Amino acid sequence: MAEILVVVEHRNENLADVSLEMLSKGRHLADHVSAELLAVIIGKDVNRYAPRLAQWADKVLAVKNDELEDSQAEPYQKTLAPIIKERKPKLVLIGHSSFGMDLAPALTVDVGAPLATDCTNIAVENGTITVTRAIYNGKVNAVYSFAPSETVIVTGRPGEFPVEEGQKGGSVEEIDYLLDEEFDYKSFEGYIEPEVSDIDITKSEVLIAVGRGIKDKGNIELAEELANALGGVLACSRPLVDYGWLPSGHQVGLSGKTVKPKLYIALGISGAFQHMVGMRGSKMIVAINRDAKAPIFADANYGIIDDILKVVPILTQRINDLKS
Amino acid sequence: MDIVVAIKQVPDTSEAVDVVEIDASGRDINKEALVSKINDWDEYALEEAVQLKQKLGGTVTAVTVGASEWDDILRRALAMGADRAIRIDEDAASMDSNTVAKILTAVIIHLPYDLVIFGAQSEDFGSGQLGCMVAEMLDIPHATLVVSLQMDEGEVRVSRELEGGALELYTLKLPALLTIQTGINRPRYVSFASIKKAREKELKVISLNELGLSRDALTPLVILEKLELTPTGKKAELISGSAEETAGKLAMILNDSGVI
Amino acid sequence: MALADYKYKDVIHRCFRCGYCKFPSNWMEVNNCPAYARFRLESYSTGGRLWLIRAWLNDEIEWTDHLAQIVYSCAACKNCVEQCPYRFHDDIVDMIIAARSEMVERGSIPSVVKEFLENIQRQGNPYGNARSKRGEWVEGMGIKQYEGQEYLYYVGCVGSYDTRAKETARTLGEVLLKAGVSFGVMGNDENCDGNEVSKLGEESLFQSLAEDNIQQFKDLGVEKIVALSPHSYNAIKNDYPMFNGSFEVFHYTQLLRDLIKGGRLDISSGFDARVTYHDPCFLGRWNKEYEAPRQVLNAIPGVELVEMERSREGALCCGGGGGNFYTDFLGGSEDSPARIRIREACATGASIVATACPNCMTMLEDAVKAEGLEESIKVKDISEIVAEACLAKRAD
Repeated sequence: MAEILVVVEHRNENLADVSLEMLSKGRHLADHVSAELLAVIIGKDVNRYAPRLAQWADKVLAVKNDELEDSQAEPYQKTLAPIIKERKPKLVLIGHSSFGMDLAPALTVDVGAPLATDCTNIAVENGTITVTRAIYNGKVNAVYSFAPSETVIVTGRPGEFPVEEGQKGGSVEEIDYLLDEEFDYKSFEGYIEPEVSDIDITKSEVLIAVGRGIKDKGNIELAEELANALGGVLACSRPLVDYGWLPSGHQVGLSGKTVKPKLYIALGISGAFQHMVGMRGSKMIVAINRDAKAPIFADANYGIIDDILKVVPILTQRINDLKS
Repeated sequence: MDIVVAIKQVPDTSEAVDVVEIDASGRDINKEALVSKINDWDEYALEEAVQLKQKLGGTVTAVTVGASEWDDILRRALAMGADRAIRIDEDAASMDSNTVAKILTAVIIHLPYDLVIFGAQSEDFGSGQLGCMVAEMLDIPHATLVVSLQMDEGEVRVSRELEGGALELYTLKLPALLTIQTGINRPRYVSFASIKKAREKELKVISLNELGLSRDALTPLVILEKLELTPTGKKAELISGSAEETAGKLAMILNDSGVI
Repeated sequence: MALADYKYKDVIHRCFRCGYCKFPSNWMEVNNCPAYARFRLESYSTGGRLWLIRAWLNDEIEWTDHLAQIVYSCAACKNCVEQCPYRFHDDIVDMIIAARSEMVERGSIPSVVKEFLENIQRQGNPYGNARSKRGEWVEGMGIKQYEGQEYLYYVGCVGSYDTRAKETARTLGEVLLKAGVSFGVMGNDENCDGNEVSKLGEESLFQSLAEDNIQQFKDLGVEKIVALSPHSYNAIKNDYPMFNGSFEVFHYTQLLRDLIKGGRLDISSGFDARVTYHDPCFLGRWNKEYEAPRQVLNAIPGVELVEMERSREGALCCGGGGGNFYTDFLGGSEDSPARIRIREACATGASIVATACPNCMTMLEDAVKAEGLEESIKVKDISEIVAEACLAKRAD
């Protein structure tokens, strides 16, 4: 019986959302090709997650490791490599999260399997696995297949695959950590939680988000004036925090906050997936960007293709006119 | 302190340039109208390496696998402060990450290094695999998505970026491999004069054969089946006209939706 | 570079802070320095900026983003050069540019300036737009590629890519065609003239741009050049000769003046309007050409030319020089020089403010909108006013 193995990530007493997405997708694929879905989770007291994982998986392998509070790449690799070599699953699914990026490529070399990362689609047809990836700033989709191999490893893009509650009721197997050697070349030292800023953009109904199209720190004022006119709050994409133009509390996206305001106006933001992931749930999305091919227009409700530095001051004025 | 930085050149497909189309072969995009640049993440990686060298002394070697046009980014690396550059003369555009990783490993293994630095991912394909694969092939510890680092006696302390802005802290024993996330520093501007001056520094070109490798023996593990342009701007209702017109229309739409 | 290596080390400390650099030639305002007008802090006037530069080169203060922003906020308008009472007054803008060169060499420049320069390096224009779109403005006009005609019509980056400025490029083209001038353009082969690059302190890039352009012009047999933008006019006329590029360079208003005088351009249809003229810095103070544009306007029947309070060598810069039309260090306030200038233009009672520079055009047009004065005043390029008077009404 062919096997699909899902690597489950957990942190802060929670299962990672992307792992649930991988389990859902894995379940679909397993049903499609009549394979068994195996979920593997490693750490301290991970058996408590097992019933939940068993909703999708035929089998849950809860690997007990009292030294490991949360998922980390190195212990996972050391545990998974022998499991994969022994069980030879046809497909291994991992979420393309920070943890996934730290784990998958090294694991793939370790077990000698092909790897495709950040996939937006995964398909199995007649025993052949193909994946789709978005490349060139999201402007091109590429479909890949793999060299003949016992196992193929794929990481899936977070937020791409819907979570569908399963009713599998699989069996749970608990095993102790089977690492035969300690390693000290990469030691975990702890976490730094994100700074609590005085701004909580997740609480605002209206967000005016600025991206690189704002060109200069001094122009952020224009966006602020628009925000004031609409009773909203300023947000931004990652590059502005990289440049030091806005504090990280304003950042929306994968490494920032996830927001669901009534209105999200994206100014000069191209719509890279790392940003979209953070604001897709907004009720109304308006995008203003001078690049007609910016991916953000695919997700926005309304779009204006023009220079934000020209449009925004006028927009602010018209809104103020309507208010008075 | 010896640092090796692996970099790559990518076509500029970012916001201001909207000329992306599939080429005649159907296996890549048409790059004629596109300008090449150094991969954004690699710029941060180089800047970090050069800053480390400026602080602690030592050498920085920039490495790439690419055709002769890619000398441009190596010159840029030298202008930023790298001491020497090596290009393995192979067109990497059609290679999968595993193949490039093998080639890079074959070069790096002969170089002195305390740290090997990669950008976390590339602007064109965005796989984020290369650095981590090379670390495994070199059998050295790795940390990806590094947003800050501190050198110490025989080790490096790093913070890795997690979702939601949290950071994961690790200490790695040297030699180690790091992949660098954007925002870790502010890459310096490279003036035209400094690029010209960089011509005095060593840029070595070597072939696969010299590494004991052959193109035929390097079979790809991941195979491209097809390329398609993603449909553009389908969902958004586009408001057209001059800036005054569009701003006015949008204001009305917002008004009608009760936001104002 | 330590202070000891700085070219102007013997004079930079001699500014005794008289403040004249902030005044126009008629002494009527204190905000004739565009950066000072915007920020009203001494650091942003030439005197204050030079003191900071000296302190930085002397290691008394460290480089910071803020210092870089102050140093890069100068629009290179030369009002201070006009007004400074010292013998070395001719050099004071060059002193700022020399400081910028030092920042460029160290690689420590504001990120938006880095973008500007990298875009030019890559795409030949500061916007980062594709080279293949540079010649698009010419579509459907019947203007030919340059192949030895009398004049090379050199458009520049702003005229080639900015939506509003492209209209002036086209209109001037139409006027030149109407006058039967023998000219051609370079289309996609045209590359940045480098004027702003030089003012931003990237000398080696400027040299490379100049040398490439000079070679290209020579290969094409170019002898006479008519420039749309005073910025191009300035670079090609004054700076290219030092790289062995000597051409006869005209700003288009000079050519139009000659065409009108010589009866080759029939403007008898006239154009009825009260017009005020905004002197572009790179035509006015940089090249002392105050008359040609006025002569053109005065020659058009129906044009009533009125002067703003500050004009000619005392004109207030629109704030678009030194790359500012892109980097926008002086924007975002009702004290932005462009907005002050538009208010000044309105005060003359004119319904039109005439420009002779695509940078001024974009800066002033944005200012009109920001001021909400669209009903009161329009910004028109001189080529557009001439076109009204000489081109038959088009069918559309």
